[in-house]
Amino acid sequence: MSEQAEKKYAAYICTGCGIGDRLDAGELEQTASRDGRMNLVKQHEMLCNRDGVQMIRNDIDKEGVNHAVIIACSRRAKVEAFGFNDIAMTRCNIREGVIWARPDTDEAKETTQEMANDYIRMSCGEIKQMEKPTASGQQSRNPNVLVVGGGITGMTAAIEAAEAGYTVHLVEKSGALGGHAARLHKRVPFKAAPVGTLNSPGANLPMPEDTGIADMIAAVEGNGNIKLYLNSTVTKTSGAPGRFSVDISTESGDTTTENIGSVIQATGFNLYDPGNLPEFSYAGSPDIITNLEMEELANAAGDGPIKRPSDGKEVTSVLFVQDAGQNSTEEGRLPYDSGIGDLVSIKQALYFKHHNGASCDTTICFDNLRTPGAPGEDFYRSGQKNGVIFTKSDVREITPGDAISVKMHDKILDEKVEVKVDLVVLDLGMVPNSGPDPYAANEALESLSDEDKAEELETQAAHAADETSVKVESILNLDYRQGTDLPHLKHGFTDSHFICFPYETRRTGIYAAGPVRRPMDMKQAMDDATGAAMKAIQEIENAAQGRAAHPRVGDLSYPTFRKEGCTQCKRCTVECPFGAIDEDEETYPVYNEARCRRCGTCMGACPVRVISFENYSVNTVGAQIKECEIPEEWDEKPRILVLACENDAYPALDQAAMSGEEISPWARVIPVRCLGSTSLSWVTDALNNGFDGIILMGCKRGDDYQCHFVRGSAMANERMAKVGDTLETLNLEPERVVVHEVAITDIERAPALIKDMEETIEKIGLSPFKF
Amino acid sequence: MTEVVATNQTILVVGGGISGMTAALEAAETGAQVVLVEKRPYLGGRVSQLYKYFPKLCHPTCGLEINQRRAKMNPNLTIVTGAEVSKLEGEAGDYTATVKLSPTWVNDNCTACGDCAKVVEAEFDDEYNYGMSKRKGAYLPHVMAHPMKYVLDPAIIGTDDAQKAKDACKYDAIDLGDEAQEIQFPVGAVVWATGWKPYDAAKIQPYGYDRFENVITNVEFERMADPKGPTGGKILRPSDSKEAKNVAFIQCAGSRDRNHLYHCSRICCMASLKQTHYVVDAYGDDADVSIYYIDIRTIDRFEDFYTKVQAMDNVKFIKSKVASVTLGENDNPCLNGVDTEGYHRYATEHDLVVLATGMEPSVSVDSFPVDVEINREGFIEPAEKNGGIFAAGCASDALDVNRAVQSATGAALKAIQVVNRVARAEG
Amino acid sequence: MSETNKATIEQYRNSFLSEVEANVEEGEWVKMCMQCGVCSGSCPLGKHWAHPPQEIFMMIRAGKRDEVLASDSMWMCTSCYNCVVRCPRQLPITHIMHGLATYAKKLGLVPQNQPTAKFAEIFWNNMMKKGRVNELKLGLSLYFKDGFGAGIKESLRNKDLGMKMMKAKRMAASEFFGGHGVKDIGGVQKMIQKAQEIEDARMKKFD
Repeated sequence: MSEQAEKKYAAYICTGCGIGDRLDAGELEQTASRDGRMNLVKQHEMLCNRDGVQMIRNDIDKEGVNHAVIIACSRRAKVEAFGFNDIAMTRCNIREGVIWARPDTDEAKETTQEMANDYIRMSCGEIKQMEKPTASGQQSRNPNVLVVGGGITGMTAAIEAAEAGYTVHLVEKSGALGGHAARLHKRVPFKAAPVGTLNSPGANLPMPEDTGIADMIAAVEGNGNIKLYLNSTVTKTSGAPGRFSVDISTESGDTTTENIGSVIQATGFNLYDPGNLPEFSYAGSPDIITNLEMEELANAAGDGPIKRPSDGKEVTSVLFVQDAGQNSTEEGRLPYDSGIGDLVSIKQALYFKHHNGASCDTTICFDNLRTPGAPGEDFYRSGQKNGVIFTKSDVREITPGDAISVKMHDKILDEKVEVKVDLVVLDLGMVPNSGPDPYAANEALESLSDEDKAEELETQAAHAADETSVKVESILNLDYRQGTDLPHLKHGFTDSHFICFPYETRRTGIYAAGPVRRPMDMKQAMDDATGAAMKAIQEIENAAQGRAAHPRVGDLSYPTFRKEGCTQCKRCTVECPFGAIDEDEETYPVYNEARCRRCGTCMGACPVRVISFENYSVNTVGAQIKECEIPEEWDEKPRILVLACENDAYPALDQAAMSGEEISPWARVIPVRCLGSTSLSWVTDALNNGFDGIILMGCKRGDDYQCHFVRGSAMANERMAKVGDTLETLNLEPERVVVHEVAITDIERAPALIKDMEETIEKIGLSPFKF
Repeated sequence: MTEVVATNQTILVVGGGISGMTAALEAAETGAQVVLVEKRPYLGGRVSQLYKYFPKLCHPTCGLEINQRRAKMNPNLTIVTGAEVSKLEGEAGDYTATVKLSPTWVNDNCTACGDCAKVVEAEFDDEYNYGMSKRKGAYLPHVMAHPMKYVLDPAIIGTDDAQKAKDACKYDAIDLGDEAQEIQFPVGAVVWATGWKPYDAAKIQPYGYDRFENVITNVEFERMADPKGPTGGKILRPSDSKEAKNVAFIQCAGSRDRNHLYHCSRICCMASLKQTHYVVDAYGDDADVSIYYIDIRTIDRFEDFYTKVQAMDNVKFIKSKVASVTLGENDNPCLNGVDTEGYHRYATEHDLVVLATGMEPSVSVDSFPVDVEINREGFIEPAEKNGGIFAAGCASDALDVNRAVQSATGAALKAIQVVNRVARAEG
Repeated sequence: MSETNKATIEQYRNSFLSEVEANVEEGEWVKMCMQCGVCSGSCPLGKHWAHPPQEIFMMIRAGKRDEVLASDSMWMCTSCYNCVVRCPRQLPITHIMHGLATYAKKLGLVPQNQPTAKFAEIFWNNMMKKGRVNELKLGLSLYFKDGFGAGIKESLRNKDLGMKMMKAKRMAASEFFGGHGVKDIGGVQKMIQKAQEIEDARMKKFD
């Protein structure tokens, strides 16, 4: 189809699945051709079968149909059959949306038919505003992956991406590869006991094993597809997936600029500062050490016994304090745990059993011992088998001395105990090395009043100007409108918020892996690095073709704006949940298609309605609102507009219909990509057109948000808070417009919410705006 | 006849639960050709039977919707349901997969209109609800099922019900002549994502799962909490359908136990803390929850979830592996044991007892159809000898959903490496 | 304090656990306990234990030598094996309890008048005499263990049972005088001696 090709609109009505029985198909056809002004309208008794699909295919190929409305089941059904990607197409849902949502009674017949007719008018209106999406042309295939961080995570990511045939640029801040892992004496075993292992104190259970780091470093250095930058940092990252431009600089300032397809951030962790734990007297004795220092002590022992740092005496007793400064609700301590500390302490206790002999006392003071999975529990057994003592206790005070005194409460024996040991090891937690959170300041401000806000802003500005204050250094130095680094989820970790989608990122094409994303051990870090490498090469392929990344995978549409209408208000650039939009010198938005996730939050943000996608815009939804026939006031048939998130609320309504729940005959449901894309003008238009009530159904917002576009649902809610003014101007009751959080499981609740609106309207009366 | 188009650059994914779906989708969305083989008639696996996830308390079906949409739209992905891999021969880059296909009797013409279900009469235990409710002999496994097709129970084939179902179908979607078949096709790499099953609670004799109606498992409790589940989302005692407000969770029911599973199943602590929310959400201040545990294993970021539950006034934690369950008054299960924090004996009655049963691998160690390294617990270990077969999700260890998906994403890359190597070699 | 006791205290200064591993039957399993408490909850005599098995294991690890060895808890074990079958770590708890009891006896740390200890001693002596247990004498020795008066009282209390047993030919009054033994009492004694040697050798390997 060339750009100049004449638009030919067709509507295909399926009469299967009871549609033909329940509805007057002739009338539907008439609606499509007369009201919908379709050039071609056809009926088929089973549109999704081979014959029906072929009929449409023929019309596209031979009749020049390039805009089609499939009037049949929900857009969630028979997707494969109706996958006509070479035309502009929309689905008109009269199965789940109409006949299955309404009772099969004579009484309901008239309103059911009206519902179907309306949906057809709406879809025909929508298709006229749609174009087939095509990629922008910004894209190109760039098979270069940037990996930031040369620890075990970064090295694994580099090797795995290179192994898949991509070129890797590995940037490491220090002068050597290996990170923390290179300091380790041994690692926690990766595997569980093999088949046939018996349960006896003499069983052959997994033991600490070689870290494998030396081999891995050699593999990285010897890999022709990995370019290594030691003593280097990333000083600037601009562009978008497929066309990142990255400055890599050495300390002396030498800078190389590389074109990069996608980025993996594997910057690991720092150990929590034991100085914050006065009760454990870390500073008071060289024989009270951190878990990382313990590794060095073991390395220093060579083949001989491990000696204590203070006087070189052979250690005969050692005590491990688990979760030191972790799992705490106290300010300044870690509210989480590293998840690996117990396994690490078992490993280290076994160092003593190996180097200092079985008679060396090794006690692990824990509260809840976390040795999960098959390898974890077997390693616990291995520790026990080799004589490591586990004491469920609460260590309260450590006093330095020739023999270090440890006071604790033994929880099993329920008594206070004091023991004397040669050495104490503190199991300290992991603090992510993640760079500054672009939204930290915003979050701090959110809960404040306007006055306090101003004050806080001033403090922040002063703090920023104060050169002596400790600043978190940026890692990626993103040249983005919305900050220099990956947003944090919690406690500084740059994790995904989605359980099903651990690699969901708020900066498209940039994936965090390893302990910067979440506390984890070496094995998990290696798995994680492989997963991140998978996403990184996938993004390279997506960007090459202009396809959207998760969750609208494969979407070729992208937002554009009409510059002449733009007021440079910057709302779109500020509100984009993915930081996809930059600003030029005149503060006009600059779209980066490959960073964009196609949610349309920018479109909803735009007060002057200049932002649109080819197949989704203010007009595509606006047309549906306009085409809906509003009955005369005396008909006493209200109309309720439902703008439903296509990810959760719309499927909930679909499932409601499938489960036999009734949906109000007055409802007209329009799916939206995200509630964040809702333009205030739709609400105004609908009210002006005579809709009696409007319901916005979006995902859960707040800390445990379920919005797939992070902030979309929250943004919509904020904007709708201001709709009260509009209602006031129109002299309408505020309860005519409501916003609800609807989950995909709200199968009974979603129809009930519509019913509630029906009752509200009954109470307050129909809208006076009927024409 | 089902035909699968594949080459030695195709990736075979075995298992269509969240891990298998993830591996298949990630690979397919990167451009690889993928065949996904699933034993059940629908995708989603065990996750599709969960009501909520920890720690967000969001709904698994939300992610399932997204993943299914991805699957529907991806031309690189072929899904074969009702199928099991029975043999895999060859080496990385050159395998031949033998797949057994069960007869489905329902073809792609099915529109899920439901007319067949209306006419059949025989009813069976609904496996989706772990047998806590009944379904018809022609049924939609659940309202989110993908492929969205009705299923005929093998038991109705040859009966009048089958003929009735066929006669009711207007779309020629039922073919009663369908037979089991075996197909073979080449693949380059394999992602093994066969997942887990709940440990058989009846084997834990002292807990009386097979004797006491009010002793149930955590997977059953999960169905009970679901508004689409057998009790419509109400937490009720099976014996008398009374509200179960005083609920006990027994942790490590089967896990960390040489009599049952040696391994820690990792998820059960968080699952019980999550399910505690179900009870508290349902009954508010009247809820009374007791969690009997050895160690509460809330790993890394999950700690705050534990902290929040600990702060609830009506939730008790008892450090004890329950010794036995006996029958108290009014069909109340009575838990007997010793709280080991300071030695306190208890014999406490509860309305309902939930066994936090562990995960065991779906495929038995004794009948693994492929030659890979397996540990004592039946999980696949990473090993050279596995060649082009990569374990994903709970086939590799007891994992939560987040980590299973992480593992599956990594496995997809490992498989892509193999087929990319083949592609490079073949120019 | 007995000499053996003194010597062992010296030998295992810091680690009672090592002492138990070296000297108590199945003592090497003690470290495998993960403190779940299923043994304590499974014991039918549980409530009579001052320290249930899992707590004893923790006490051993905490070095509470005197409290453990002088405790009468392990003497409560009736060898029902409920704990052993339920123990998730398969600890032979019954054996360990008997082992601890035996060890305490060896060191002379058994609490005074511990009835189970007393019974065991009577049983052993009775059995060693003739190579078999003389039930009549066993019963009587048990009744009279706390003195003559108590013996008479206890005998009278159980006289009906005794009569019934005689009637049913489960016990014979003639057994009071000598009583019959096994054919080869010397052989039995040798066997026991050998078993003791094997056990001593087994324990020695920990030294």
